[in-house]
Amino acid sequence: MTGEYLVQAQEIQIKIAQGAKPGEGGQLPGRKVYPWIAKVRHSIPGVELISPPPHHDIYSIEDLAQLIYDLKKANPQARISVKLVSAAGVGTIAAGVAKGKADVILISGYDGGTGASPRTSIRHAGLPWELGLAETHQTLVLNNLRDRVVLETDGKLLTGRDVAIAALLGAQEFGFATAPLIALGCVMMRVCNLDTCPVGIATQNPKLRQRFRGDPQYVQNLMQFIAMEMREIMAQLGVRTVSEMIGRTDLLQQRPDLPGKAKGVDLQRLLSQIRPAAGHYCQVSQPGEPGLDERRLLDLCRPALERGEQIKVMLPIRNTDRAVGTGLGSAITRRGSSLPDDTIQLEFVGSAGQSFAAFVPGGVTMKLFGDANDYLGKGLSGGRVIVRPPAKATFVAEENIIVGNVAFYGATGGEAFIRGVAGERFCVRNSGVRVVVEGVGDHGCEYMTGGLVVVLGPTGRNFAAGMSGGIAYVLDEEGNFARRCNQALVDLGPITDDGEQVRELVQKHVQATDSQVGKRVLENWHELLPRFVRVIPRDYRRMLDAINKAQAGGLSGDQALMAAFTANFRDAAHLDAS
Amino acid sequence: MGKPTGYLEYQRRPSPCRPPQARLGDWREFCLPMPDQELREQAARCMDCGVPFCHGGVVFGGAPAGCPLHNLIPEWNDMVYRGFWREAYQRLTITNDFPEFTSRVCPALCEGSCTGGLYGEAVTIQAIERAISERAFASGWVWCEPPVHRTRKRVAVVGSGPAGLACANQLNQLGHSVTVFEQADRPGGLLMYGIPNMKLDKAFVLRRVRLMREQGVVFQTNTRVGDDYPVKLLEREFDAIVLACGARQPRELSVPGREAQGVHLAVDYLTASTKAILAGATPAISARGLHVVVIGGGDTGTDCVATCLRQGCRSVIQLEIMPARPKVRSPENPWPQWPQLDRPGYGQTEAVRVFGQDQRHFCQQTQAILTDGDGNVRAVQSVQVGPRPMAGSVQEWPADLVLLAMGFSGPESRLLDQLGLARDQRGNVPAEFFATSLPGVFAAGDVKRGQSLVAWAIAEGRAAAQACHRYLTGE
Ligand SMILES: Cc1cc2nc3c(=O)[nH]c(=O)nc-3n(C[C@H](O)[C@H](O)[C@H](O)COP(=O)(O)OP(=O)(O)OC[C@H]3O[C@@H](n4cnc5c(N)ncnc54)[C@H](O)[C@@H]3O)c2cc1C
Ligand code: SF4
Ligand code: SF4
Repeated sequence: MTGEYLVQAQEIQIKIAQGAKPGEGGQLPGRKVYPWIAKVRHSIPGVELISPPPHHDIYSIEDLAQLIYDLKKANPQARISVKLVSAAGVGTIAAGVAKGKADVILISGYDGGTGASPRTSIRHAGLPWELGLAETHQTLVLNNLRDRVVLETDGKLLTGRDVAIAALLGAQEFGFATAPLIALGCVMMRVCNLDTCPVGIATQNPKLRQRFRGDPQYVQNLMQFIAMEMREIMAQLGVRTVSEMIGRTDLLQQRPDLPGKAKGVDLQRLLSQIRPAAGHYCQVSQPGEPGLDERRLLDLCRPALERGEQIKVMLPIRNTDRAVGTGLGSAITRRGSSLPDDTIQLEFVGSAGQSFAAFVPGGVTMKLFGDANDYLGKGLSGGRVIVRPPAKATFVAEENIIVGNVAFYGATGGEAFIRGVAGERFCVRNSGVRVVVEGVGDHGCEYMTGGLVVVLGPTGRNFAAGMSGGIAYVLDEEGNFARRCNQALVDLGPITDDGEQVRELVQKHVQATDSQVGKRVLENWHELLPRFVRVIPRDYRRMLDAINKAQAGGLSGDQALMAAFTANFRDAAHLDAS
Repeated sequence: MGKPTGYLEYQRRPSPCRPPQARLGDWREFCLPMPDQELREQAARCMDCGVPFCHGGVVFGGAPAGCPLHNLIPEWNDMVYRGFWREAYQRLTITNDFPEFTSRVCPALCEGSCTGGLYGEAVTIQAIERAISERAFASGWVWCEPPVHRTRKRVAVVGSGPAGLACANQLNQLGHSVTVFEQADRPGGLLMYGIPNMKLDKAFVLRRVRLMREQGVVFQTNTRVGDDYPVKLLEREFDAIVLACGARQPRELSVPGREAQGVHLAVDYLTASTKAILAGATPAISARGLHVVVIGGGDTGTDCVATCLRQGCRSVIQLEIMPARPKVRSPENPWPQWPQLDRPGYGQTEAVRVFGQDQRHFCQQTQAILTDGDGNVRAVQSVQVGPRPMAGSVQEWPADLVLLAMGFSGPESRLLDQLGLARDQRGNVPAEFFATSLPGVFAAGDVKRGQSLVAWAIAEGRAAAQACHRYLTGE
């Protein structure tokens, strides 16, 4: 997710879970990661992409509130939506999300979903949207929160009747996927994950895509029919607007004529009416919270923004200053992606709050004398981040944690030099940033898909779990790194080339931070070079080899990628057949 | 699914057939088995659809879609691809008593609804079904397995067509003692006397009947219930009755000259032909050296044409009142409905080979059958009909033999009236959930649904057996 991508959005959704498979993540099998998919996903063609179920930056409702805050800074115009699934207790969560200042809450049901969801999950893990929606609406109304969020629902809404029921249970917006897909030609093959969709929908195979016969008009037609039916039902109920329907459970009633077991179901709780003290649908927008960017940075950087002038600014910073640099980055990106290197040089002194330098684009260098909280450089999109202890600090940098947890989470590009140790989950889902650090906590480089990480000190446990791309170099002076590394997907080995790439980075690190470890490494380069362990994912290396081979064969650029991808695909097919 | 990319890698290959020149010289089956490697590839084309329309057996907008027997097609396709033939056969027999019949005579509703056919070509399901069933017989997997325990309930099944056979087979396996009554000299219904030997070798019908006999089913042939065997006796002797006597009332042609010498019902003609083949004798009605006009352009007509050609007719033409069907699906007939297409049958293909051109004439309404002085047929007179009536389009087609293949209007009344059964306006026996208006009397197959297909008849026979079983056991 780059800053540029975020800036384009009208709505940004944080998917906490998926209705059809709550608690499960997603996977894009290698054979579907075509070169053009790899490009937008910042990964390597042919290498499986894993979306783990947890968000590694969200362990609590406060974390979620922080992400909402970050995203609002990254794109102040977009609505921020949070997708939850229907489950007992979802109302409480939704109340927290509303207080976390989300603009939209989506309650997703178990039904529907693409054919890639495992059948067992669809049948046994999810619940109907009706249950979650009713609970959420009632809880929000009870807590006077309903009027500041939009409540949306989805999960196989098919007809105007579904929409009407959803509105009466409290929904204000409605999501459709299965029905429009069918209108576009989906025949429910449930092979979305195999890249063999015979109607050309869920496939990247150009030959199959040619078979696609859908037309936007079909969807338009479908929607018009749904709207027409909705209007007819509204006329029967005697309501004029959707807004006045919302939460009117008194207009719903349980069918008395149901046979068998269905007769025993008691829906009273779904249908209970709560008199709202505040509004019963979204009437006010969530209040904004101006940060350091809006108060100072944007003004200070105006010459750079408007005329591309070089700017150097020095400011004190406190831990209440969150997502510093993100609003500035957003303004830069909105004007046209990035600035020339070092156009804006910001220096901060003090303790930075959460999400320092999140989503910052190229052209911005943010140097911090002090320490940083969690989410440093989250989603970094080309900027440069430097953190070092203040000159007068008395502690030994490489023995102390200087940046919090989840640094460079999902970063897509840029550079960073951290003099000192980082917390847990360092560089999780990193896909492009090149970073030097002097030690990391547990779960470093988890699910990383690209980029380069140099660790000049010890790591915590479970390093490189689920890592499918990029390379990490770990200086293992104690010789026990292998024990702390999760080697399910990666190979460990010495640096095979002359190590120049690593040395250059360490040199930059020393220049930027005055690092003592860095200096020692450079001075003893030849003794220490063999102590570096190279961590490289197996699939990633296979693809790199294939790409090199294609390039050696005279192909270049996209052609080489495609050739490597097809060759890899063939290999994979052989593996399957055996 | 055996191979996710199979349908992209392999082309559909239909079952091989003997070339017309070779097959016209005898009465053996024209369809040949498919080689193993090819079968594997064809099975690999199956996509194991999330919604396998192939085995739906439903009616969409008035048109059938998918296998009436709900055969577990994607499963056995996969097993054939992997070489698990025996398992494939076991899966096949879960839904289908007689795969050796359906895989030869069924028009393959399954293939008409196969998702493969949506933007490409359907899986060759029927060829695979046939290969599984042939392998099972050849490998000795189809053996006599009489039920271990008998209920002492006696059931009479009237009619030994596919519906009656399937019903008898199921009831017998459930432990009931079944007697099948058949008016003809051999059991099988239209499988025996109707569908010609080139399509379904009668040896296979007899093989199945033998197997059923060994398992305890009693066949009483040459017995017409209601005439040779009184209804009263039937009601007294048996605990339940299943009517599977078909829809044998032919649709009549009421034109001048219908009673002329040389005008025959298609089924009588086909029956005579099969009887002669089985006896090694000359048929009672033969087309040898004659000009033949077949009235009716359906599958029965096709069977007549093919039979005439083998008997050595001088010429044979087919008159059809409807216009020719389209070559490609019309928008009113979308997938997954059974495609209503102009597909010349095996008989027509053979006729083209012999006479050099299609012998079918569409939009032809028969007006009269013309005779010579002795009351023998001389010609058929027809007029072209269509969207607009065509003035002056009267045509005469020279004929020595006229075969009426216009289908059936419903079941014969005699037995049904003796039993005192309720009938619907088309004359069929209405039987919701297969129970008729009389307690203990069930109906299945063409007698219930009107003229239809072997696969539907088997499906109904099976379901009626279940209904009857529930009746007998009080479950
Ligand atoms: C010429 C022809 C070709 C066909 N080809 C095909 C084809 O290729 N594929 C396909 O799927 N379908 C085909 N059909 C249709 C198919 O044969 C029938 O739908 C199917 O046989 C119906 O089965 P059934 O058991 O209900 O009746 P039938 O097969 O008609 O069997 C009824 C049996 O009951 C017997 N019977 C009737 N009354 C009495 C009585 N009172 N006492 C004792 N016995 C009695 C009859 O003699 C007959 O043997 C064809 C039909 C015809 C006429
Ligand atoms: S019985 Fe007919 S429709 Fe069913 S699988 Fe066989 S050929 Fe297909
Ligand atoms: S519809 Fe066709 S492709 Fe799909 S499962 Fe059935 S046979 Fe296979």
